[in-house]
Order: sequence, then structure tokens, then C-alpha cells
Amino acid sequence: MKLAFVVQRYGPDIAGGSEIHCREIARRLSTRHAITVLTSCASDYVSWRNTFPPGETRDGDVRLLRFAVRQPRNLHAFADLSDEVFDGGAPRDRQEAWFAANGPDVPDLLDHLQQHGRTYDLVLFWTYRYSPSFFGVPIVKDRAVLLPTAEEDRAIDLDVLSEFFSLPAGYLFLTPEEQALVSSRAARALPHCSIIGMGLDPASPVNGRSLLDANGIPSEYVLYMGRVDRNKGCHTLLEHFHHYSWKFSTDDVALVLAGPAKMRVPTHTRIKALGYVSDELRRALLAHARVLVVPSPYESLSIALLEGWNYGVPAVVNARCAVLEGQVRRANGGLPYRSAQEFCEALAYLHEHPTERKSIGQQGLAYVDREYRWPVVIERIERLLTQIAERRA
Amino acid sequence: MPVDVVTAELRERVRARLRERLKLHGASHAFEDPALFADVDRLLQSSIAEGDAGALLLPELLGDPDTWRLQTAMHYQSHRGTGAAVVVLFFKRRVLMPMFRWLFEYSRDNFERQRRVNQVLFACIQELAIENAALRKQLRASGAFEGR
Repeated sequence: MKLAFVVQRYGPDIAGGSEIHCREIARRLSTRHAITVLTSCASDYVSWRNTFPPGETRDGDVRLLRFAVRQPRNLHAFADLSDEVFDGGAPRDRQEAWFAANGPDVPDLLDHLQQHGRTYDLVLFWTYRYSPSFFGVPIVKDRAVLLPTAEEDRAIDLDVLSEFFSLPAGYLFLTPEEQALVSSRAARALPHCSIIGMGLDPASPVNGRSLLDANGIPSEYVLYMGRVDRNKGCHTLLEHFHHYSWKFSTDDVALVLAGPAKMRVPTHTRIKALGYVSDELRRALLAHARVLVVPSPYESLSIALLEGWNYGVPAVVNARCAVLEGQVRRANGGLPYRSAQEFCEALAYLHEHPTERKSIGQQGLAYVDREYRWPVVIERIERLLTQIAERRA
Repeated sequence: MPVDVVTAELRERVRARLRERLKLHGASHAFEDPALFADVDRLLQSSIAEGDAGALLLPELLGDPDTWRLQTAMHYQSHRGTGAAVVVLFFKRRVLMPMFRWLFEYSRDNFERQRRVNQVLFACIQELAIENAALRKQLRASGAFEGR
């Protein structure tokens, strides 16, 4: 098949869940299909400033067409518009203006879809909230497959989405919770859908603790992986951990934060913020963690959680996030918490029951083996794309 | 091993501790009964979990949203004539707002919290009304209730 992949940014050094997801799938499918990625010249998702030259290049077998961003994002105007539309009751044109202002503003990409969209058998779009998807899907709706990467945040409640979610010919979802969320916002029943998740390769072996010792990582630690940010629930994680270490713990477990900090991390003898970590250190941290904690209130799929299970590490997750709660329940791979007290009980239980802790981690690993290996994921994608292509033919 | 069982055990432990603490602070005597406390806890928890704004009846009954809904967005207005209004609005939007954005965001975040609490309260009232209506229906069916 001749497939186009539309994504807001693309490249080996682009960090971002949906961008990595898109690239991994593009590279894997390119051995069997002709893949063209349509993307912007931006590398920064805040400003969308042009970094790469426009035009055609290649990424292995993948053909890559980059389109220049006409205007970087005006952050003040975008903040004002976000306040206005998220307050509720904003008219349709203002809501559409929000999607335009969210960027990246790539009119040539939309022109390409107008002129050449019908030469592709199917066009896959990543992330509903960005301008190329929101304005691109209607242009090629009869062959559009949307990977919404939707979360329970404020954008999902915008009225214009009920019609938008009824347009694509098919959907690829990351979790059943995401499918339920999008279904609840769509004006009509969704057409062809598949829940694909994200593929992982088996964990690479890690040699001892030497790298951890060199970085001053204590022997027993609870690991948080990802951006240290309020939006990721890190402020409540820090409060809960304070509560645990002050009132609850009978051990001297530390909290290790592995990721760039976008908020102030308080000084505490048992909290260690590492900032950005190399892949090698990341693997070592995962291999030796007692527990992985995921405090985020919004997720469409937690890749950190899957990576933890890939190393047999049990998880403690925020139960207020339906996706995390669902992932943990399906995997039998962790304990959900709704409050500081439940967080403390969960950590204490996993500390006091090492055998059960190991079993829960292994159950998580078995779940990843069953559901999230690349051949399984690619097979699900192929099946859905074939279904839609056959129906169109 | 099923983590649901472990989670239920841990939650039971948390609930027991919470009940003791509330009793210590003079909570209702009804909370002496652990089973009743557990029922109340379950009902309120489910209200919080299922408090989707789109699925609530009370906001529909309150009428025009402008009369009751918290408005968290800043609306820029001026009572002056067109020319002066453009200058005033520009000044408010591009000079004052960036200067005081931190204060606006502080207030807005608090209003958002209030909005969430309102939504949870709406959901709790809805759950209680449903339970109440279901019990009335049962009682009416059994002939033991002659009320409205």
C-alpha cells in the first residue's frame, strides 16, 4: 500500500510520545509498504520554529516531506485563546481558531493533502489536537486513519470534536480507555477501530550497579521516569512521598526522578532529581528499581509504565487516571492509589512483601510480552489498514 | 496474583484508619458502623469517579449557564468609543495582562478547583437522588410506602 503519515514533528532526536510512536511504526511498516511522512520543519513543540530545511529527504526506507511553518506559535495569543475556549460555550469559529493557533501552522502540508491526498491509499494522522490533523483529516476523510492520542484533558471537551471524530475512515487507539473517551465525544459510532498500544523490544541486559553507584543512586529506590512537571502529577508525588517518608516508612527507600525538571524539586535527603539521563543510565535505573511510580492524571498510554514492566518492575499508579488504572488492572502489574494514604499503603505493601512485589512485576512483564511486542502491534495495524483498504476498494 | 485483592485490602485499611480519625474529630454516630461507613465511602467514591460534566442532570435544570457557571476566562471590554476602546483593549491585553498573568492564573486555578468541587457535589447529589428514587420505587412496589 502507499501510505502517508501526518505528524507534527519527525526525527530521530525528537522526544515526544506520538512522534516516537509514528517514527517507530513508519520504519517498521516501510519494509512492506511505501511510506511518506508529511511533517513540519519544527523540532520544538512550544514555538514550532523552523529547524529543518523544507523538502524531501529520507529516513531509511521512509520518504520524508517537510513543510515550512508559516508562523511560530504566539504564546500570549494562544494562552488567551485557550482561556476563552476552555471556559466553555465558545463558538465554533473560536474553537477552530484554537486548533489553528495550537499549530504547527503548515499550509503547504494541507495543500499537499488537497492536491496529492488521493494518490495515497490511506493517510494516517497522529494526535487530533494539532493543526495538521484537525484541518488535514477533513481533506482526505474517506482514507483517513486517526491515532488521536486523546487524554481526559480540557481540549477533549471542545464541541467541534463531536463532528471531527465522526470523519475518519478508521481509528488506531493506544488503550481501550482512549477508545471509550473518543467514542463518548463522537457524534456517530466509530467505524473500523483497533487498539494497538505501543511496541517494545525485550529489555537489554544491564551489567551490575556500577553506573548507579557512579551517579550516587541509593540501593533501594522508587523510580519516576519522565518530565518532572506539575502536569504530570509530580507535585502530588512529591507531597505523597514526603508523607510516606515522614509518617509511614519503616525503610529508607529514596525517590529518584529521572527526567528534566520543569518545576522546583524540594531539597530532601531521600529525593534525588537526576535531570535528563542517558539511555544507558535509564536502563540501569529500570533494572534495579524497587517500584516505578506513575502519578500523571492525564495519559493516553504510559510508555514509562510499559518500560518498567519490560524490566519486571511493579508499578504504583494514580488511579484517578482511567488509562493508568486500566493498564495496571489488565496487566495485574501494579497497585493504584487515589490518595496520599493509599499511596503510602501501596509503597509499604511492596516493601514488606518482596515475593508478591516480584510476582506483580513479573505479571507486568508477561503482559508486555503478550500485548506490546512489535510483531503483535504491527500485525494489529496491518489488519486494520487492510480492512479499511478492502472496504474502500 | 490478582492485584485487585491486594488493592481492596489496602483500601479497607485506609478506610478503617480514616473512620477512626473522623470519629476522633466528632463525626456522625452513624460512622460507628464500619459497614455503613464503607457504603457511604463507596457511594461518594463512585460519584467522584463518574462525575463527567456531560452526564449530570442538575446543570441542565439550573437553566441559563450564564447565571450560575463559573467563568474563568478574561473578557476584555471597554465602555469608550471605538478609537479609544482599541487603545484601552490593546493596553489591557498586551501590557496589563502579561504583567499580571501570574495573579490571573492564581485566581483561575482556584476557580478551576471550585468548578471541580461543584461538579463532584452535583454528581454526589445525583447519586443520592438516584438511590433515593430507587428505594422509593422498591417501597412503593412492596406496598409499604404511601408517600409521594
